Amino acid sequence: MMLQEYDVIVIGGGPAGMAAAIEAHKQDAHVALIERNDELGGILNQCIHPGFGLRYFKEELTGPEYAQRLIDVLQTTDVEVYLSSMVLAIDHNEDGTHTVSFINESGRITLTTKAIVLAMGCRERTRGEIKIPGSRVAGVYTAGLAQRYINMDNYKPGSRFVILGSGDIGLIMARRLSLEGMKVEGVYELMPYANGLFRNIKNCLEDFGIPLHLSTTVTRVIGKERVEAVEVTKVDENLQPIPGTEEIIPCDTLLLSIGLIPENEISSKAGVELNPATNGAIVNDRFETSVPGIFSCGNVLHVHDLADNVTAEAENAGKNAALYAKQAHTEEPLDIIKVTAEQPIGYTVPSTIEKGKNASIFFRVRKPITLAEMVVSSGDQILFRGQPRAYKPSIMECQIVPGKLLEKAGDTISLRLSIKEA
Amino acid sequence: MKQYDLIIIGAGISGCSIARELSRYQLKVAVLEKNSDVAAGTTKANGGIIHAGDDPQPGTLKALLNVQGVNMYPTYAKELGFRYKETGSMVVGFNEDDLKYLEKLLDNGIQNGVEGIELIKDPQRIVAIEPQCSKEAKYAVYCPHCGIVDPFEVAIAMIENAVENGVDLYLDEPATSITKENNLFTITTPKDTYQATYIIDAAGLHADDVARLMGIDEYNIVARHGDLLMLDKECGVKNLMPLYPIPSKESKGTVSLSTLAGNVIVSATAVYREKDDTDSYKEGIEQLLAGASKLVNGLNTRKVIRTFAGERAVAENNNNDFWIKPSQTCENWFHVAGIQSPGVASAPALAMYVLNMLRDNNVPLVEKETWNPHREEPIDFSELSPREQNDIIHEKPNYGKIVCRCETVTEGEIVAAIHRNPQAKTVEAVKRRTRAGMGRCQSGFCQSKVVLILARELGIPVEDVRLESQNGWLLSGPVKEGQ
Repeated sequence: MMLQEYDVIVIGGGPAGMAAAIEAHKQDAHVALIERNDELGGILNQCIHPGFGLRYFKEELTGPEYAQRLIDVLQTTDVEVYLSSMVLAIDHNEDGTHTVSFINESGRITLTTKAIVLAMGCRERTRGEIKIPGSRVAGVYTAGLAQRYINMDNYKPGSRFVILGSGDIGLIMARRLSLEGMKVEGVYELMPYANGLFRNIKNCLEDFGIPLHLSTTVTRVIGKERVEAVEVTKVDENLQPIPGTEEIIPCDTLLLSIGLIPENEISSKAGVELNPATNGAIVNDRFETSVPGIFSCGNVLHVHDLADNVTAEAENAGKNAALYAKQAHTEEPLDIIKVTAEQPIGYTVPSTIEKGKNASIFFRVRKPITLAEMVVSSGDQILFRGQPRAYKPSIMECQIVPGKLLEKAGDTISLRLSIKEA
Repeated sequence: MKQYDLIIIGAGISGCSIARELSRYQLKVAVLEKNSDVAAGTTKANGGIIHAGDDPQPGTLKALLNVQGVNMYPTYAKELGFRYKETGSMVVGFNEDDLKYLEKLLDNGIQNGVEGIELIKDPQRIVAIEPQCSKEAKYAVYCPHCGIVDPFEVAIAMIENAVENGVDLYLDEPATSITKENNLFTITTPKDTYQATYIIDAAGLHADDVARLMGIDEYNIVARHGDLLMLDKECGVKNLMPLYPIPSKESKGTVSLSTLAGNVIVSATAVYREKDDTDSYKEGIEQLLAGASKLVNGLNTRKVIRTFAGERAVAENNNNDFWIKPSQTCENWFHVAGIQSPGVASAPALAMYVLNMLRDNNVPLVEKETWNPHREEPIDFSELSPREQNDIIHEKPNYGKIVCRCETVTEGEIVAAIHRNPQAKTVEAVKRRTRAGMGRCQSGFCQSKVVLILARELGIPVEDVRLESQNGWLLSGPVKEGQ
């Protein structure tokens, strides 16, 4: 065991963690990064498809290429990287510092730090969470596990697939399976709309002739030892299966792409307050959680659809963590304004902003909206009204509210979509 | 051809407990199991409760063995190095009709000899005993000596100890024919033939089918199916003592409790179905969720991480009792059948009862000169102190490599489980021994790592690693680039 003092410890070495560490380092902070896998990059390493980097690097990259860009920068810094290291606990010290305990093949190690950036990413929802009845046979995988088997381990997890869920990983896997000579019978989606990005529906399903069945779900897994078929059933407007619409689809594998959940078990053990709407931490506009000195960013904060957005957000968190550690925030926090949202806006990140400062408020809608105006108000006062446009659940939106407009706000602002007839 | 004095057919918790007790004696014993692991049938889909013994009808064998078993568990757990926790339990009532049932249950329990059983009529005392019990509860039968185990851990501990003491275990060997000639039974499996003078048929759901292979047709087993639910460790409830509802058509057999690992398990509906139907059913899952919400205060039922199901072996027309007796038509064949609930709670006492039955039927049981009652407990990294964790990593660096992040399971523990005797040869066998894959991601992150470790340690091709059973393949072959 050893004790060493850092300004910032970043937990997680994916597109969030690396960007946070690089940015904290730019602020002259003494930084350590702890990554549980044997290499940096996180889930990017198994995302061998293109489509990354268009926003952040202004060119199209694959996942591993995107990761390598950040690794290359990180290697020019003196950020200390601990690989194959799993954080087991975060504890708080009386002097306001924190200790991070982790293990690797050299033992159990404890480091102390002034600030922490949580960047552990997310996990996939499982069969158990949506309680698909039927047999518990081999051949039911989350899409990410299948992706790992194919792209990292180089084994085929089956030969004839049904995919449940039109999330991006499922769509990308439909294409990947087809390219590797495996058969995809179809993608089934509970909702009446697709959950993935439009470009993925086009490039991964349409171009490969894979049917997308909306308002349909898997209601039973059939098989003795390995999946032999699944039963799919149409659902009504309340998402309940419609009796009589069952259909048996022979296959040997069921892939699940039914959503991602931020992995905050370490965070909640450390006392970080979570938002039930995101399963991520509640943060202010500096990405600081309810525990002073602990910051959160990337998919562990809320699920993003683009790695580029993760990196941009993490830079912000990393910079603020470094400023916190060095007590170098130039000004005292201004008056705090609470951010609330009305349905169909599912959540906002951050939960609070500062009066008079430009605010970027991220949010996601819970259902597709054909035409709506964004209305930002405080009490009876409308601060901002946007142009009418469409909103989709698959796209993380960002509403910028200029600081000047916020000067008139009270202690709460509210985001609301005023829905127009299409 | 392999020769034994006695062969036990079936390595569920009953077969394993009998094997362990028989390993004390100078008897050549083998256990034949059709699955790839012990405890892979009814035993693995079980709530893990050492029921206090208030429920079985007085005078039944079940009542006797259940109450004796409860008293034996603490010693067994120490000897065999498995985790056991005394939790107490309550059967919870909400109205005057429920009270009538509870009064009868109390009487039942007293007749069965359940120690410390009492009927509580003070709602405040109910929540004092279990603060997470529904605030609506008015009456309860409280049994202080109810306990919990992991049923497969118990069976594994028993068989490891039996094997250590000379019992031979054969996995993946279903009996396909059985004959008897010159007082010697011959059992054929797809791999080999086995001879023995005595047979104990502990084949669970198929005990009657196995007996029929020998031409013995004395009873029928029917399957009482049960759905079960496992919830996340973070589900709003911690250290919940087993809480039973008053049995109704919907709630019969159900109970909610925290497991040793800290999950909440809701176990198990009771519906007669076809043998070997271990499917989960939507209506069963919904019944369990509704029942648990009524009984437990603050349970977040959205936190289900797994649904599963099992079947209890019920001997027909037998007053719901165990069927443990010598065959009436075939000498030296012993039935250990119909071991439905409370089979886990009864297991240690059941083994003693079987020994007595063997003695009564002149099976020579002469004690060995040396017999080791202890099993070396596997290391559970997550239970070690930081200092102990550091020490074990220095000794064996693969204990510093986390494979299952949800349950903090290290590569060292997985490698150790694979190389114990009997070996963990499948992904599910590794899971039952180490908890790798049992957490909230349900093996999404660790399954591929476990598969690669199994292939490496067993020296088999990666695509030969199975989830559980022979045809439960996981990978169909290498991708183009991998060839």
